[in-house]
Parts: sequence; structure tokens; C-alpha cells
Amino acid sequence: MTATDRTAGAAGTEPILRLEDLGVTFSSETGEVPAVRGVGLHVRPGETLALVGESGSGKSTVALAAIGLLPDNARATGRAVLDGTEVVGAPENELASLRGRTASMVFQEPATALDPLTRIGAQIAEVIRNHRRVPARQAEALAVDLLRRVGIPEPERRVRAFPFELSGGQRQRVVIAMAIANDPALLIADEPTTALDVTVQAEILDLLRKLAVDTGTGVLLVTHNMGVVADFADRVAVMLHGEIVETGPVEEVLLRPRHEYTKRLLAAVPRLAVAPTGTGGDTAAGPVGDVAEPAAPRPKYGVRARTAKPAEGGAAAAEPVVDLRDVSVVFGRRLAAVRALDGVSLHVSPGETVGLVGESGSGKSTAARVALGLLRPTSGSVTLFGADLRRSRPRARRALRAGIGVVLQDPVASLDARMTVQECVAEPLRVHRRGMSGRERQERVAELLERVRLPRAFARRAPRELSGGQRQRVSLARALALAPKLLVADEPTSALDVSVQEAVLEVITELQEELGFACLFVSHDLAVVQHFAERVVVMRAGRVEEQGGTMETLLHPGTDYTRRLLAAVPVPDPVLQRERRTARLAAGAAGVDA
Amino acid sequence: MSAVLRPGRLPGGSGPTDGADAATGTGVSALRLAVRRFTRNRLAVVGLAVVVLFFLFCFVGPLLYSTDQTHTALTQANLGPGGAHLLGTDAVGHDELGRLMYGGKVSLVVGLAAGILATVIGTLWGATAGYAGGWVDAVMMRVVDAGIAIPALFILLVISAISTPGVWGLIVILGLVSWLVPSRLVRAETLTLKNRDYVHTLRAIGGTHSRAIGRHILPNSVSTIVVAATFQVADAILLVAYVSYLGLGLQPPRTDWGGMLSAGLTATYSGRWWLIVPPGLAVILVVCAFNAIGDGLRDAFDVRGRG
Amino acid sequence: MNTFLYLTRRVLQAIAVILIVTVATFCLLHALPGGPARGILGPQATAQQIAQFNHQQSLDKPLPVQYAAYLGRLLHGDLGTSYTLNEPVSQLIRERLPKTLVLTVLSAVVGLVLAIPLGMWQAVRRNKPIDYVITTLSFVAYSTPVYFLGLMLVLVFSHILPWFPAQAPQGDSLAQVFADPAALVLPVVAGAASVVAVFSRYMRGATLENLSEDYVRTARAGGSRRGAILRRHVFRNSLTPVVAMLGYYVPVLFGGALVVEQLFNYPGMGLLFWTAAQSSDYPVLLGCVLVISVATVVGTLLADVVQRFIDPRVKEGRA
Repeated sequence: MTATDRTAGAAGTEPILRLEDLGVTFSSETGEVPAVRGVGLHVRPGETLALVGESGSGKSTVALAAIGLLPDNARATGRAVLDGTEVVGAPENELASLRGRTASMVFQEPATALDPLTRIGAQIAEVIRNHRRVPARQAEALAVDLLRRVGIPEPERRVRAFPFELSGGQRQRVVIAMAIANDPALLIADEPTTALDVTVQAEILDLLRKLAVDTGTGVLLVTHNMGVVADFADRVAVMLHGEIVETGPVEEVLLRPRHEYTKRLLAAVPRLAVAPTGTGGDTAAGPVGDVAEPAAPRPKYGVRARTAKPAEGGAAAAEPVVDLRDVSVVFGRRLAAVRALDGVSLHVSPGETVGLVGESGSGKSTAARVALGLLRPTSGSVTLFGADLRRSRPRARRALRAGIGVVLQDPVASLDARMTVQECVAEPLRVHRRGMSGRERQERVAELLERVRLPRAFARRAPRELSGGQRQRVSLARALALAPKLLVADEPTSALDVSVQEAVLEVITELQEELGFACLFVSHDLAVVQHFAERVVVMRAGRVEEQGGTMETLLHPGTDYTRRLLAAVPVPDPVLQRERRTARLAAGAAGVDA
Repeated sequence: MSAVLRPGRLPGGSGPTDGADAATGTGVSALRLAVRRFTRNRLAVVGLAVVVLFFLFCFVGPLLYSTDQTHTALTQANLGPGGAHLLGTDAVGHDELGRLMYGGKVSLVVGLAAGILATVIGTLWGATAGYAGGWVDAVMMRVVDAGIAIPALFILLVISAISTPGVWGLIVILGLVSWLVPSRLVRAETLTLKNRDYVHTLRAIGGTHSRAIGRHILPNSVSTIVVAATFQVADAILLVAYVSYLGLGLQPPRTDWGGMLSAGLTATYSGRWWLIVPPGLAVILVVCAFNAIGDGLRDAFDVRGRG
Repeated sequence: MNTFLYLTRRVLQAIAVILIVTVATFCLLHALPGGPARGILGPQATAQQIAQFNHQQSLDKPLPVQYAAYLGRLLHGDLGTSYTLNEPVSQLIRERLPKTLVLTVLSAVVGLVLAIPLGMWQAVRRNKPIDYVITTLSFVAYSTPVYFLGLMLVLVFSHILPWFPAQAPQGDSLAQVFADPAALVLPVVAGAASVVAVFSRYMRGATLENLSEDYVRTARAGGSRRGAILRRHVFRNSLTPVVAMLGYYVPVLFGGALVVEQLFNYPGMGLLFWTAAQSSDYPVLLGCVLVISVATVVGTLLADVVQRFIDPRVKEGRA
């Protein structure tokens, strides 16, 4: 049964959620901010409506308004009718009796969503007893049942656990259990999987879908991820600057978008090229040439996009700019020891881009820090520009470091808020080129800003006045100040919207073509890496799972783990995604501990 | 009572829940925003006014209302308020109002100096411990723990048994007794700042430790240090008020508010309220005012912290 | 396993701190004019007595050796002898400490019982007029020298309104102390005032922080009412940092006890210390400092351990 079928079937029934001309205004220190304007949408029983948009679009605000959880400094106008009850302006008592029973909500951050000092069973029981007269013992039994339904193993034992004893995915399952405890007619999920690893994300989405289908619950799914939309939703509404610009069935909107913004948004999403289902990464039998190979898709970014160079590291003859050999990093001592890296070997040759991918805890960020010389390995060697860091003297080490440029993930924390853009970008010059005059520095900074497509006038601004994407570009300008031979970028675009990410990656590509630096690109986003890097290193639990040419490795993965990882990434094509999902569920064992 | 604790507070209401990627710049600088937040805190503004008034009172006052605070005038002793002496006279004939100004100068100056001294020592100690980390940090913090474990009043009393310091000695002693709390605060701040991305980036490209501390950590600690200093001044003025009571006081005819209080204690039951109520109120008002200012500054700068 | 490691580390830290305190007192002892001999024997001692004492106590040996001897004496419970009262200091302290503990514990308990609900209430009524009033009162209570507050209390509630006696219960045994509860009221109020001021502010801050935490939003989304959320979730989470601070507040409590006991003539350790200071009775002075410091370190350790059991997340100790 396709999504269109389900929507058609549900048409004609009264929607459980109907928003009409909804507006929300926030009063902040700097004035009134209209976050949402004239929003109208509806969700019917049994259908999933995805509310998509980038940050600042107002999608989360709409979700909160629907359930009456707007913060105190927000004012809602218009109508929001939940199962016949008007939410806007309703008294708190009425709203409290709706929440958790008629409609419930799942939030983004599982790490902080639960009371750290209360056992999870008690927290689930609380939701049950809020709406039903049930004795405590029975509520706990019901909680155990719910835990089982959401896929937590050993629920009888786990029901007495504290939140910190569970992983992020498990905690999200607990939140979902709380949300479905009283069989709500509407489930609102605000970026429920954004904070989770991609394999966990797939499991949680499977769970949500199964629950919705089993009980006919309507779902309002708020997300920025088009792949998740394609995987889960029946209908889509696209938001921009607080307004809805396009609505429709998922296949229509994702495959045949009409509004300019939707088209742009979809075009900016890096698409993971996948081997068609059926040929997916079989290592063993079958010569590759047998089945019709998909043409290796044209990469969006990276040197390969421009020069169509062969994917393999043909330039391997030259000495690598950074070389990790059998590196291990152990934190803590004896009983509390944690092996962050275990015998990792990887290298980056001059001019090439290497993508370092993995889920959380894989050690990819640790490896990057070792490459940067910020972390001393417990064993193994690190060679930077041909010199062993351990054997070099501090002065020589510092001189070597001039050849590195660094861009880190958090746009807010990467620039010192107390310095102007000029001072931030000029800092490497001050560290290594003492001889430069103030004027020369200014010139160089202006030049660098232009290179990253920022106006010269930005030099006088403070980081606070810039957007996230602009800040990352300033970081990039700073990284290039000394014409480095190696750029180490640790999740540089993960905190950015997809359209902003596109701009930043394009800039990096251009610069790499011009200046020819090598790049070590750490990311959890396989699609981005596929488009950007020539070689890829897949990491898992501190070890290198496999490495090789990007297209080779990602289209024909050598290990089971990589295969599973790729299968879990949702693509923004609903038809294709459905096929992949079926194949994945058939191939994998039932997801257990997320 | 020397303060070890002050509650932390959290910043005000939240904005739109979708993390805005859009630029927030409305041309309002961080400093102006802080000033705006401070002025909206009524208690803090009142506190500032009170402090300014008291400074004027103590330093400009005697120019307008001059009295003799050095020589005794036993014929004028123990007079009630009224007539030539607006607040009466004390046991040796000094004019009480004039004495309030005279004593205030000492209380304010010693308090200010001791508070600032304590903050400076504490900042250096805490920043070093926080930045160095490892066993250096552990040892330095154990010393701080030991210092906190010994109540300040007890130490002061012991010192009073040994010697009687002058004004400068008093400033040094009070400073040495109070630097412990700011050191913990600055250490915590340093630890946080040390782990900021921009510091990591600086170190990765070869920046030196001194650059990291001088260009990034210290400037970003300024708000914490300023807030700590304000609270330290409040505590120091309060401590000065205890000092005479404990016998570490200044020799007459020099005095401060604390000295006036302890000298006047015996007079309480004989109904000579004008000897203790004015200095008591003065201490309470000024210490309160500095606390309110510190509280307001902390909220204005968005500083979290205990103490 | 983790608990064991944590406890060991904390205990070792505590021992280190206590050692540093003994070094401090040892230095003070030697910083006294005339040296420790005069400190022990008193200002009346003759030069000959001092020389004899010095030799007996091996004060002519190098400092580290003396420190070791000093430490040895401490471990045997020998804190010296008071020369004004001619009794071993340890005995004096043993007699007086329980009474001081009664006073400080009562002040702390009364203070906390008032402060915690007050702070929470303030957080809920944030920025309303009542919040400002209580905040102002807290500032005033915090900024008032304890002896001044005590004096005012006596003036109002003892002289003008003859409700409570102006002197705390006299008598040596604890039974006698408790026999006259009315006399304990004013001293306890004087001691509790700053506790209420500080901890209500503290609780207010912690509650405000917790009210904006995600788990509150989750609970609301599940239909829980604000009052229930406050009681069931916010309260316990706010309590954790407050408990942590209690340990560090112990020296402040003792400092307050010093003044309160003197003011109300309460025969506890504070008054002992006070009188010793008047007569330069150094053995008593230093002995008391040592005991109180050890009490503080133990108090902090206990607070940390309690916190660990309340909050199961606290696995790592703090440096």
C-alpha cells in the first residue's frame, strides 16, 4: 500500500489536527519576532504529515503551538484545533488533559529529555496515571509492556533503570513509550532522530512507523532531513520564514516540486548514490561486470567534480602530508580505561581529500585530533609533513603546524566572540609571520575573505553579527591564512542548514582546486563524503573498518558494517527509499539495542 | 560573615525554538546589551545609587560638615541627637555624624582594596591551576580546600591575639583570608574556556600557551572576574565590620564602622541607640548594595557561578 | 567498583587537605612572637623556662623533624595544654564541641527548612513583587553582621518584648542545654538568618535552572501539571547542588557560632575560642582551628558522599 493509497483512504475523515491561519510571535530582549505567520495544515487519523524546513523556518514552533507548549514569551493567534478542542488560548488545565492522551510529543534531544533522578518505569507510569485511574503497581506493569513494545530488551529489569544507564537510542525509545502510553490520536515528533546515529535513526523510524500503522495514529513529523521525509511521510508541507510555501503528497513534492524554494532545497541535498537493491555490495560471488552497473554519479563537490580525475589515489607515490601508523589512544587508567583508538592507520596524500566517516564513538574525531597533534597517541606514530611529531622539538613542531588549517564543527565556539573577524582571521599570521605589518595583514585578510565569498567589509564585524554559514566561512578563511598544505575539517557543515552547507562545500572545493591543499574531512554524513572525498576511511569503535576509493567503497562496501551503514541512510526519493527499506528490513536482524 | 556561597542564576527567557541560523546582529554590541540588562534590574540600580551616595557622603561630606574626630571633648560626651550634633555624640565627645563619615572612609577604602586584592590573588591562582591541569591543579586546589576549611573569623581572631595591624596590614590580612573563593570561580571559568574550539584551533596551528591565555582566556574571563570582585568587595566590607569586634581594630581615634559598632555595643542597653543604629545601618546598606550590584552584573553578563 | 574508587580518591584528597591544615597551624605556632615556647608557656615565662622547654620539645631540631613530632602528637590526640585553664586542650574541646554542634546543627536545620521551600517558591513567582521583597530581605539578612543582628534580636525580643531570655542555656551537659529550649531560640535564629539568606537564593537559582530543562517539557507533554512536576522532578534535581554546597558552608556556620556564642554567653567551643583569644592562649586557639578544619573537611566529604547516593550519575569526583 503506497503512501498515496493511505492518504486517499483516510480522506473524508475529520482531521485530528487542524491549523488555520496560525501565527506565533515571540517577545525577546531585542523586540518582537514574528516566527510563524498564516500557517494552515491538517493531519488526518492514520496519516503522517512531514513539516519540513531549515532552521528559523518556524516548524518547531508550529509543533509546539499545536500542543500548547509554547514558551511563556510567545503569543499565538489563529486556530489550532486538536480533536475538536481549540488549543490557542485554552486554559492550562484543559491543555494538560489533552497532552499525553489525545496528543503527545517526542523531542529531539534524548540525552536531556528524561529526569535524570527518576527511574524510567516511574516516568512512564507518571504519564499513564496522569490520565487514567490506575494503581501504581499496575502502572508499572503497563510500563513494562510499553518498553517491550518499543523494543527495549529485558523490560522487566530495565524498568527500574535510570536514564543515564541507557544509550541515546534507548532513551528515545523510552520517550516514545511515554508518548504512546495512552494511545494518543496524534503523535508529534520534533526532529526525533536528528541527534542519533544513522543506524539508530533507521531503527527509531521503523519503530515509529510500525506504531503508527498498528494503532492508526496520526503523526506530525517535524524535520529538516529530506531522506527521513521520503522514508516516513504520506504528505509534506514545506516551510520558509514562518510560512508554508508548498504542500502535497510526498511523491509529488519530493519528485516533482513546484515552488522555487522546494526545488532549491531538494537540489542542495547531497544524494547518496547507491547500488540498486539486489546488487547491493555482495562481496563474494558474481563478477561485477555482470549486472548493469549504475553509472558512477557525478560528484557535486570535490576535485573529482571539476577535473574528473580517476577515483583512486594515483598520486600515492608522493609522501603523505599526514600519516598515522598503528595509532592507539587510551583514556583513563586500568579499570576506567577507554580505548578511543585501537591500531588505526590512515594517511592523506598531497592534494587529495580523504573522508573520515563513522558513527558517534567511532573515534573519528579523536583520529582527527591526533592528526592535528592536539592529542598524543598512547602508541603508534604520527608523521606530519614527513616529520615524526614525537621526535621533533617544540620549535620545529610549531613550525610544522603552520602548514595546517583547521575548521571545527560548532560555528559559535570556533570564533572568539570578543575579537572582530579581522582579528580572528589574522591570528595565524600573528602566530607565524611576526614580520608582517598591520597593513599587510589587513590586505591578506581582505583577500582571504574574498576567497571565501564574503564581502571585505565583514572584517570589521563581530562574529555575533554573522550567521552560522558565514562564521564557518570565516573559520575557513582563517584556516587558509598561511596557505596550508593540509586542511583538517571536523564536521564543518554538520551544524548548518543544507543550503548553507552547499555554499560552504562549494567554497572549499573551489579553494582546493586553486590552492591544491590536501583535506582530511571528518563527517558522519555519508552522502556529503561521497560527493566530496576521493578516498574514504570508515571507522567503528576505534578501529578502521575499511578504507578505499570513495565510489568503490560506498557502492560496493567490503564489510557488513559499512553495508548496514549505507543501507540505513535514507534518500530523498520516496519510491527508491521504500525499496531500500524493504531490502534492509529483510536483510537485517530485528533491531535490538539501539 | 565571609561568603562562600552565592546562588547561581540563569539567563532570562528563551527566543524562538528553531535555532536561528540567520544573523542576530541588530547592531547592538554585547556591552550595550549588558548595560541594558543591568539597568532593568531595579535592585542593582538602586544598589549602584546607594554606593555612589555613600562615597559622596564619606568623602565629600566632611567638606560640608566638618567635625573634629581627633580630639576628645568630654564635656560634650553622650549627647543625644539634636542641636549642634545631628546624630549625637559618643562616649568621648566625638560628633557621631562626622564619625560616621570618618569611619566610612576607612571601611570603604579597606573593603575596596581588600576585595580587589583578594580577587587578584584568586584570579592568578585559579587561572594557573585551571590552565595547568593535572597534578599542579590538584595540589593547588587542595591548598584552596584547606584554606576554605579554616573559618576566616577564627584566623582573624588568632591574628588579633598576635598583633595589631594598621590599615595596610589589615588590607593585606583580609585579602589573604578571602582569595580562596574567587580562585575556585576563575579556575572553573578557565577550565571551560580552555576547551573552547577557538583555543583548540589556536593550539593546533602552533599558537603558544601564553597567547591562548593572554588573548583568549583572560579577556573572556573578564566578566566572571568583575562579578567576583564586586562580591569580594561586599564581603570585605562586611569582614571589616567584624574586625574591630574581634579586636583587630584600629587604634582610636581612628575608627571604622565596625569599630563604632563595637564601641557602641555597651551603650545599647542604656538606650543610646544613636551610637549603634547609624553605623549598623550604614554597613548593612553598603554591603547590600554591593551584593545587589554583583547580582545585577552577573545577570547582565550572563555569568553562571556559585560564590 | 566505581563507588569504591571514588570514595578512596575522595578520602585521600581529604587527608591531603587535613595535612595542609596541620602544616598551616604548625607554621602559625612558629610564627608566634617568642616562638612556640612562649606560645605554650605563656607571656610570663622566663628565659630559662623557655630554653628548658625548647630543649625538652626538641625545638632546636630542624623544622621538618619538629613537624613530624607535631604530627605524631596530633595523631595521639595531644593538642597541648591550655595554660589559662590548665587542662588538656583535647579535653576542653571534647566538653565544648557537642554544645557548639547542637547550636550549628539546629541553625542549619532551621535555616534549610525555611530556605528550601522559600527558594522554590521564589523561583515559581519569579520577578513578581513578592520575589523582589524576599530577595531584598535575603540581601539584608546576608549583609548584616551577625553580632548586630543578635543584638537587635536581644533588644527587641528580650528587652522590649520579654519573650525570650537574652542568654543561651548555661550548663555543661547537653541535657541541661535542652532543658531550656526558649533560651535557644534567639541564638539559633541569629545563626540561621544567613543560612536562610544564602540557601534560599541558591535554591531559587537551582530551581530556575531546572525549570528550563528539557525533562520538564517532556513531563508537560505527558500531561503532568506544573505543581506535580515541581514536586516530583524539579525539587530533587535542584536539591543536588544545594547539598553539595552544604559541605562548604560548615566553616561559615562555625564562624557564626563563634560570634553567637560570645554574644549569648553560650558555653560552647566558640566561646572557648573567644576567651582564649583574649588571653593569648595559643594551644587552645590552634587546637580549635585544627578541630574545626577537620570537621569541615569531613563535612564536605560527607556531603559529597550523600550527593553521590542521591544522584546516581555522580560517578566522577571533582578535582
